[in-house]
Amino acid sequence: MNAVETRELTRTFGTLDAVQGLTLEVPEGSIFALIGPNGAGKTTTIKLLMNLIQPTSGQAMVLNNESRHLGVKDWQRIGYVSENQELPEWMSPSELLAYYRPFYPTWDDALCGTLQEALGLTAAGPLRTLSRGTRMKAALLASLAFSPELVVLDEPFSGLDPLVRDELVRALLEMPGHRPWTVLVSSHDVDEVERLADWIGFINNGRLTLVEPIESLLNRFSLVEVITERETVAELPAVSNWVRHGAAGRTLRFVDTAHDQPESLQRIGAAFPAATIRSSRMSLRDVFLVLARQGAAERS
Amino acid sequence: MLPFTVSLHSGESILDQVVYAVTRAVVTGQLRDGDAFPSVRTLSQELKINPNTAHKIVAALIEDGLLMSRQGIGTVVTATAPPAGSAPLDADVERVVIDARRAGMTLQQVIALVRNLWTRTGRPAEPRSRG
Repeated sequence: MNAVETRELTRTFGTLDAVQGLTLEVPEGSIFALIGPNGAGKTTTIKLLMNLIQPTSGQAMVLNNESRHLGVKDWQRIGYVSENQELPEWMSPSELLAYYRPFYPTWDDALCGTLQEALGLTAAGPLRTLSRGTRMKAALLASLAFSPELVVLDEPFSGLDPLVRDELVRALLEMPGHRPWTVLVSSHDVDEVERLADWIGFINNGRLTLVEPIESLLNRFSLVEVITERETVAELPAVSNWVRHGAAGRTLRFVDTAHDQPESLQRIGAAFPAATIRSSRMSLRDVFLVLARQGAAERS
Repeated sequence: MLPFTVSLHSGESILDQVVYAVTRAVVTGQLRDGDAFPSVRTLSQELKINPNTAHKIVAALIEDGLLMSRQGIGTVVTATAPPAGSAPLDADVERVVIDARRAGMTLQQVIALVRNLWTRTGRPAEPRSRG
C-alpha cells in the first residue's frame, strides 16, 4: 500500500517547469525524504500533494484520494507543517493546541503529552514572541497530536539549531500504536535525513532523477581511488556508471554508481591494470553533491 | 540513554556501526548476560534513526546470538554464545599498522600492544566457559 502516489505530475508557472512528469510512490509506514538543491521543485511538489496549488497535468493520490479533491475528512488524517507556516500569532502554544483539538476526532491527549515532552516544549506567551524553533515545535505538536496517518513536512529543519532538530526528530520517531506513521519530508539537510529516511527521492530542475531505498542507494554509490605507480591517470574511460571526481598526483578519483554489481570491481581492475584500487562507501551528503553537480552540468 | 557506547558517523552503514558497538559492549562487559536491551522505539529515538533500521539492528543481533527475545520482558543480552567472528578487520588493522610505522614502532611492540589489549578486553572466563 502507498500513502502517496503520483503519475506524471506536472506544474508550470508561465514558462517555468517547476515540476515535470513526477512519478513516485511513498510506501505506507516509510519515512520518505525528498531531497534536492534549492529551487529544485520540492516545495512545489508538496504544495501539489496538499492541494494548495493544482497540477497543470498529471495526477497525485494522497491516502487514496485525488489531491485536487482533498477535503476536511482527509485533513483530519494528514499532519502538514511547512517552513513558513502561518500560525495564529496571538496564541500561546497551549492555546494553539486547545484551538486545534476540537477539529480532530482522533486527537490523543496522552500522545500530545508524550510529544510535548519529547519536544521539550514548555514556552508560554504569544507565538509571535517565541523563537523560530519553538514555533516549529508548536506547529509540529499540533500536527502530530491527532495521530495522523500521513505526516508531510516541508523543510522542517532549516535554520534551526542542533538541539531543536534533535527534539523534532525525537517527536517524529514516536510510534503511536507501536507502528510508525508515514512521513514525507522535504529537506536539504542531508545529514539528518541520512539516518531518518528509508526512502530517498532526488529532485533537480523539477525532475525526479532518482527514487530508491536509501540502503540500496548507499550500497550502489562508491568513491573509487585508482593509485598508479608512476604517472597520473588523468583520463577516466567513458563507462556509463562512472562519474569523474578529480585527479591529483598519482591518484584518480571517480564515483562508481553501480558498485553493488558483482562485476564492478573486475571492470575497474581491467580498466586500470597494475594500479592499486580502493573503494569506500559514501555518505548521503557526498551522493547529494554528485547528483546535484550532474544536474547543474546538464542544465548549462 | 543507551546502555552501550556508540557515536554514529556517515560513510558507513548505521546497521554495521550499531551492531559493532553492541558487540564491543558485550565483549568488554559493558553489556552482560541477562541485561535488558533497549526496545526498537528507544533505539530509534535515542540514535535518531529510522525505526526499520532499528528493527534490523535488533534482528541482526538476535541472529548473531548476542540478544534474545523474552516473552513479556523484551530483549535481553545473551553473552553465553560467543559473538559471530570474522568481522572484516582489514581496514582497522591497516590503520593500526600505518600509525605504528609512522610512530617508528617495531612489529614486536605492536604485537605486545595487541596482546595487552586482548587480555584487558577479555572478561574472566565465567560466562563464556559455559558456551
